[in-house]
Amino acid sequence: MPSSRVTLRQSLALVWRTLRSMRTALILLLMLALASVAGSLVPQLPNSPERVIRYQLDHPLVGALYGRLGLFDVYGSWWFVLITTLLFVSLVACLLPRTRALIRTLRQRPVQAREIDGFRLYQERVVPADPARAIDGSRRVLRRRLFRVARDGDGRAALAAEKGALREIGSLLFHWAFLLIVAGVIYGKGTGFTGRVVVIEGKTWVDAQANYDGQIRAGRFFNGDFTGTGIHLRGFEDTYRRTGQPMDFVSHVDLLDPEGNLVRRADIRVNHPASIDGLGIYQYGFGWAPVVEVRRDGELIAAEPLTFVQDTAPEGVPQLAMPWHGVLKLPSTDPQLGIQLELWPDSRAFLQQLQTGQPVAMIQAFEPFMRFAVFRGELTDLSQLSLDTSVMRAGTRGIVGAGTTVDLRTGKPVEDGQAPTGQAPSRLTIAFPELRQYSVLQVSRDRGVPLVLLAAILVLIGLLPALYTSRRKVWVRAEPNGSGTILKVGGFALQRKTQFEQEFAKLVDAMARAADAPAAKERERVDSL
Amino acid sequence: MTDLQWGRLSNDAFNVALFAYVAAMVGYFAYLAFRRDTLWLLARTVALVGLGANVVAVVSRAFAAHRVPWGNMYEYSILLALLVVAGYLLIVEGFYKVRTLGGFALMFAVFTMAIAVSFLYVDPLPLVPALNSYWIKIHVVAAISGSSLFALGGGVLTTLFLIQDRRERRQLAVLRSQDPPPIMGGSLDMDAPPDFAADADEPPAVSGVRRGFLPAAATLDVMAYRVIAFAFPIWTFAVIAGAIWAQEAWGRYWGWDPKETWSFITWVIYAGYLHARSTSGWKGRPAAAVALVGFVSLLITYYVVNLWIVGLHSYAGI
Repeated sequence: MPSSRVTLRQSLALVWRTLRSMRTALILLLMLALASVAGSLVPQLPNSPERVIRYQLDHPLVGALYGRLGLFDVYGSWWFVLITTLLFVSLVACLLPRTRALIRTLRQRPVQAREIDGFRLYQERVVPADPARAIDGSRRVLRRRLFRVARDGDGRAALAAEKGALREIGSLLFHWAFLLIVAGVIYGKGTGFTGRVVVIEGKTWVDAQANYDGQIRAGRFFNGDFTGTGIHLRGFEDTYRRTGQPMDFVSHVDLLDPEGNLVRRADIRVNHPASIDGLGIYQYGFGWAPVVEVRRDGELIAAEPLTFVQDTAPEGVPQLAMPWHGVLKLPSTDPQLGIQLELWPDSRAFLQQLQTGQPVAMIQAFEPFMRFAVFRGELTDLSQLSLDTSVMRAGTRGIVGAGTTVDLRTGKPVEDGQAPTGQAPSRLTIAFPELRQYSVLQVSRDRGVPLVLLAAILVLIGLLPALYTSRRKVWVRAEPNGSGTILKVGGFALQRKTQFEQEFAKLVDAMARAADAPAAKERERVDSL
Repeated sequence: MTDLQWGRLSNDAFNVALFAYVAAMVGYFAYLAFRRDTLWLLARTVALVGLGANVVAVVSRAFAAHRVPWGNMYEYSILLALLVVAGYLLIVEGFYKVRTLGGFALMFAVFTMAIAVSFLYVDPLPLVPALNSYWIKIHVVAAISGSSLFALGGGVLTTLFLIQDRRERRQLAVLRSQDPPPIMGGSLDMDAPPDFAADADEPPAVSGVRRGFLPAAATLDVMAYRVIAFAFPIWTFAVIAGAIWAQEAWGRYWGWDPKETWSFITWVIYAGYLHARSTSGWKGRPAAAVALVGFVSLLITYYVVNLWIVGLHSYAGI
């Protein structure tokens, strides 16, 4: 059948043969490693988006090229997925025939040898028993050592024995378990999500799409099944050593069911998450949330704790030395008001910084105060954290300490109990009655975790026999020799050949002894594997 | 004793260990040169003293900081040195009865400790919350045992193999130019499956050349393979334990953080090494090249990732 045209069937067979080869698998593994190297050197979007943006600003040309090549998201890029897919196809292509072959070997009886004295190891012993008894003794010895033994089918006094299928079983288990890992990852990441949550002390957060802070990162098959579970933050504590080294961050929470009933209390720390309804809740961050009250002629128009954030500290300045920023928007006043607030949780640190010029970390609240700047005009952006002052007029600036009240128009403190005067325009005051903290929690769901864990355990279980056991084969033949028997034993090991030489010698000794001993009385020491 | 005294004790013991290791290294190299048993005995004794001091340095560090003594790179380094020296004394001298490699194993320990004390030293402090987990005991112990064994197998033994192999090749070339080539024996393994070049862990036929002070290249090759095969499951376990810890700390078991990525790359390289050896029948120089690449990757995982690449493991500082 000479044909210069390559048929589809032939080319498919070629592709399959290529995928089956160990070389292909090794090359794909190497490519996976190289792709990972690239991913560890170039900043990655899912891990550190701000570094990617900085990189693109610093190197516009290279950055654009990298972006085109998917180097900013190596592990999500089409070529990484392609390499991984090909690797696993190649893995399956390797594993299927090996698994079939293993099942065949396990079903088959060990095959008799034609020539016994040609093996790498060979010994002869003369024993007084007759061939049938000698072969029975050898069979017992081999079986006790967990060899699979087959008698000669033609009725000759001969045995074929094998041991060490565990090596291949372990190796196959190890490799198949990786497919299980992939299945677990696809299922878990595909149906799961992860998001950030901000809860202020004394407040309750409910698991629903709108309540997450920013975007949630959801898998491809995520169907929006939020649980309605609640997290009530009773309190947050951050503790430090005198050196400023953090000691503990803990959120004391009540976990609530969708009806708002307490399920249980939990302390969420770094490394100590809580879980409820398949959600994992992790301590992620924290910050200050001062309660700010604004009154118009004594009537409350705003009384909310506001979440404040920090700017990133410049080089050499401890992050905790930075002040905190927040914005209060009053859309109901005329004209509308926006107030920029700057919180200093520790006034001692502020004073010290003024005197020495050295930034001081504020690791706990002590007589906190806020600086404020009022802007009048139109509130144009909806953000809770920023204020667009471009169309606003700057107004009063001032300071409000914890527990005090300040007139927003004059910036002067208001004495407690001072009756609001009825002068027009109406009088606005700002008060800072309380300083709370907020906790940033990461909420994520991954239903694949148990599956991946199981697969990882299988990987380990398979690895040990695959590396440390060896396949051994032994053949025995008993031939009459005068009144006794000449016992011929041949064998070899596929791995660990040097060790097998000793084992083989012991095996032959045991066989020679067992040839004479009656079956019931024999006490054999079973050698370790 | 107060924490401060424990800390001082640890630093003193560190110095004793470092000096003892340097002395033992010199002793082992002197043994190579002069082949006096007394020299070996002396070097070994000094190495054991160093090992004892190293243990004290690690343990007193734990008392000083009230926690497991592997919370930062300095501590990790002295533990790594300890395990490489202990691994050498146990495996190479105890199991293989090879005495000539001590200088090289100690050299690795000396370098690791010298780098630790010059660049990585920090005072003993309690753990930051991010590291405060019982998984630090499991994950770090596995990682450190795995990497010290990889350093011994993929670094020290492989380098020595390459040196010895080069030497034997040269001698063989000289022999060949004088005599007709020696006849090599074929394998008698009739039943070996064709895809299974089954003697990955066996030395090949004796080459009949003068070996010099090192064990035969083939023996070194097999030793390196065995140590790497021993290290691989431990490293696998370390990566898995790290993933479990990551799940608990960050809510995801794998996030391609640089440390995770590089430990994975190291794992992939040594997985490739084991495959190449056991199923494709690579041995000798090509296998050694893969082992060395793995060793470089291990060094990157340890030093470069911690010190130069920003990632989640950076909080541990140095």
